[in-house]
Amino acid sequence: MRHNKNIALSVKDLKTYFYTNNRCNKAVNGVSFDIEKGKTLCVVGESGCGKSVTASTIMQLLPTLSRIEEGEIIFHKDNEKINIEKLERNGKEMREIRGSDIAMIFQDPMTALNPVYTVGFQIAENLKYHTTLSKKEIREKTIRLLDDMGIPLPEQRVDEYPHSYSGGMRQRAMIAMAMACNPKILIADEPTTALDVTIQAQIFELMDNLKKNYNTAIMLITHDMGVVAELADNVAVMYMGNIVESGTADDVLRRPTHPYTKALLDSVPVLGRGRDQDIKPIKGSTPDPYDRPIGCQFAPRCNWRTESCDIMPEISNISETHEIRCHKYKEIFQY
Amino acid sequence: MKKTSLDKKFDKLRFLEENNKLVSKDQNRLISKFLNNKLAVLGLIIFSIIILATIFAPLLTSYDPIRTDLRSMRQSPSLDHWFGTDNTGRDVFSRVLYGGRVSIFVGLGSSLMAALIGLAIGCYGGYKGGWVDVIALRISEIFMSFPQIILVLLLVSITGQSLTNLFVIFILTGWGGMYRLSRARMLSLREEEYVQALESFGISTFTICYKHMLPNALGPIMVMITLSTAMFILTEAGLSFLGLGVPLNVPTWGNILNVATDIVVLQNYWWMWAPVGIVISVFVLAVNFIGDGLRDSTDPSQQG
Amino acid sequence: MIFVISFLVYFGLDLTPGDAVSHMISPELAATITPEKLEAMREAYGLNATFLERYWIWLTSCLKGDFGYSMAGGVAIKDIMVKTIPATLELSIVALIISTILGCSLGILSALKKGSATDSGLTVAGMAGVSIPEFFFALVAILIFGMHFQWLPVGGRLLPHYETLLDRIPNIIMPSMVLALALTAGAMRYSRSSMLDVLSREFIKTARSKGLPEWRINILHGFRVALTPVVVLIGFRLPLLIGGSTIIEQVFQWPGIGNMFIRSVRASDYPLVMMISLMYVFVVLTASLLIDLLTALIDPRVRLGKE
Ligand SMILES: Nc1ncnc2c1ncn2[C@@H]1O[C@H](COP(=O)(O)OP(=O)(O)O)[C@@H](O)[C@H]1O
Ligand SMILES: [Mg+2]
Repeated sequence: MRHNKNIALSVKDLKTYFYTNNRCNKAVNGVSFDIEKGKTLCVVGESGCGKSVTASTIMQLLPTLSRIEEGEIIFHKDNEKINIEKLERNGKEMREIRGSDIAMIFQDPMTALNPVYTVGFQIAENLKYHTTLSKKEIREKTIRLLDDMGIPLPEQRVDEYPHSYSGGMRQRAMIAMAMACNPKILIADEPTTALDVTIQAQIFELMDNLKKNYNTAIMLITHDMGVVAELADNVAVMYMGNIVESGTADDVLRRPTHPYTKALLDSVPVLGRGRDQDIKPIKGSTPDPYDRPIGCQFAPRCNWRTESCDIMPEISNISETHEIRCHKYKEIFQY
Repeated sequence: MKKTSLDKKFDKLRFLEENNKLVSKDQNRLISKFLNNKLAVLGLIIFSIIILATIFAPLLTSYDPIRTDLRSMRQSPSLDHWFGTDNTGRDVFSRVLYGGRVSIFVGLGSSLMAALIGLAIGCYGGYKGGWVDVIALRISEIFMSFPQIILVLLLVSITGQSLTNLFVIFILTGWGGMYRLSRARMLSLREEEYVQALESFGISTFTICYKHMLPNALGPIMVMITLSTAMFILTEAGLSFLGLGVPLNVPTWGNILNVATDIVVLQNYWWMWAPVGIVISVFVLAVNFIGDGLRDSTDPSQQG
Repeated sequence: MIFVISFLVYFGLDLTPGDAVSHMISPELAATITPEKLEAMREAYGLNATFLERYWIWLTSCLKGDFGYSMAGGVAIKDIMVKTIPATLELSIVALIISTILGCSLGILSALKKGSATDSGLTVAGMAGVSIPEFFFALVAILIFGMHFQWLPVGGRLLPHYETLLDRIPNIIMPSMVLALALTAGAMRYSRSSMLDVLSREFIKTARSKGLPEWRINILHGFRVALTPVVVLIGFRLPLLIGGSTIIEQVFQWPGIGNMFIRSVRASDYPLVMMISLMYVFVVLTASLLIDLLTALIDPRVRLGKE
């Protein structure tokens, strides 16, 4: 593990389990990663693999029937270290972190904004609780934020309700809301899945600018490999509650080693590689979360499977930055 | 950190899960969900007990519910007369049992009939539309602009008091809701792919409508049946209590309660009215528990 | 709609068995009355014209505010209504206010503590509230508070010489509480499920992710949004309030329109039955209109959609 000063948040062996339907769902089962200041960490993986749960866990936004079982979430605030997992769920300290130090954007801007309040009101709320600005200053700042996010006529738009915003504009408003207090970390959970392709690009550009201008650390959850290639500094690949491979964008995208990462990359067309790409969907489907394989979670769908895969592989380092959770990585890496 | 009861529950579940004790059961999900709802099961048990008790009334009591016995008037509860006797010496317990037969029959019967009629028209109307639907919709609108009890009273005043009339009146006031519910369900089902697939196979309207779509509309209807059963039983009781329901010579739950309009009875002879009031409340409560259980188990949006 | 119903109501009552005149005169008189005299009385009450004619006469006079005369004693129906409606309104509004406030707060409490003992207790209590026949509850209340402890009057609205608002309060407590019972249970149920629904929405998570305090999330973001469907549903239950008040008014001898309605049904006083039913329909239809307006007021989506 690198111990540099640039780490904004580090997650260590995090486990979050769900207890709905009288069962125990090990949604996140031992995840470790670091988010660096001014860098983008992309988390990729098929749906249901625990990406959103990881994000919610960091913000302690989990539903009642779930809890953090083990592990640490250390938030490096200035020179302090705060163990987020030890804070009370909706307690005062946690609330102070949310929205001001760590902010989050959600997948569907259509449902993420409260329909009965104006957009301005919802952005101002954030400022009201985390700053000492006066009412007037808050309003000015809200308008400025909307303007920064590229919303036309912000003075007018600020008093409109979310339903008169288009999807892309709502997501911009969400980002304005998240960025209101200049958070150290921005968590974006599939921020563009619900939007048109052209708008997606604009939103990502916006986020990339924010990262550069404010040195914000971004954790971007996505399953769009194109986006990963474009934006990521670091990449973590998740599968069934584990990170199976992580490293810099170069490590993961150019030298994918875990069979799952390879399969994932093979399953999506890459822009610019022309028409006759060899696209192979990943064979099989994700297992029932209540009936997970013992050992390596990917084993049942893996071409490289051996008996040793019945034991969960440890994390190994391929290089200083490139980590992997696979027994056979040495063979695959050479291959 | 201190452990809350939720934490303990989680620990237990986690332990069981890790030892593979929790395997998903293959039983019918609806039934198992219903059975998991303790209140619903309790409701079902009470419901069955009361129904069985009224059916087997002759075995449970030897008294005739309408034979007056002037030698034993207004006796308080005793081993002979469990709920005492009323103003004319009739055994209240046997009246509650036999009265239950009529009240439950009227409540359950009319709501089932109303459901049958509502479903038949609603399914067809919702699926096919056309003039049948338009007319039925208008008529149901008319019925539904009245508060239920006012409509019932109005119809009672027109048709006069009798058991059959009340039964018919309940059906008349009840079918509209069922019709609208099943119609709405059908309208949304109509758009589903399997229905369109069936249509493209050239299967007859009648078969698609009543054989393939109807079963999918039943869940909410069942809930509604329980609700209107509860409501009809309460309405019957209310009407008869006012002396406007079933003629007083027929024992029904409401008619038994009618004595409580007399302030002397109310104050001095609690056994003549309190037990039957409690029985009505408990029975209706049981029906509502069942309805709630059905709602939870048929509603796919609810989890946990 | 109201015209269609007015027509039907009139038609239905016209077909009723029994001669209306025979309800108006004492049995002794009926035994001795001459056929001519009877005929004259029928003529006087307009009972001999053709159906459509009678309907038309009736409808036009209704629109003029003349609702005809009650058969029992020939009192103008308008006067009866003027006398009884305020009493019913008073009772209903008090009950509506009590039940809405109580029901909504209990429902929200229940939703916020979902799964706890409080929640289950309230849920069962709510079910009991809709399951106990109102009049039975009323009887028990009368027995306990009116007779045993003698804290509250057992019935009526105003005692002679008691004219101020304060004097009226003891009389209204029991009937309004009893009437509020079922409504409270309903309101509680609705607000609970509506609140639960809202609390599971994305924007609640957004609000939480902003670090807002829980009260603000629950009240401003949760309850505010949950309110709209609750208002609609309570509105839809208005018929229940109106219907429920008929029996309660009777039990407590509350001199309201419901009480009057039951008396007129008993007496087969058809003009009165007819007019009161029509008034109920009118109230229900107006109420649903008002609810539409009210939802538009609370919900910006609807509000702007109509512009
Ligand atoms: N609110 C919830 N209640 C119960 N289970 C949940 C909830 N959210 C997520 N899960 C479970 O957690 C697992 C991971 O889900 P999630 O993190 O949403 O996946 P994704 O990677 O697509 O974001 C899934 O098995 C899902 O069923
Ligand atoms: Mg997700």
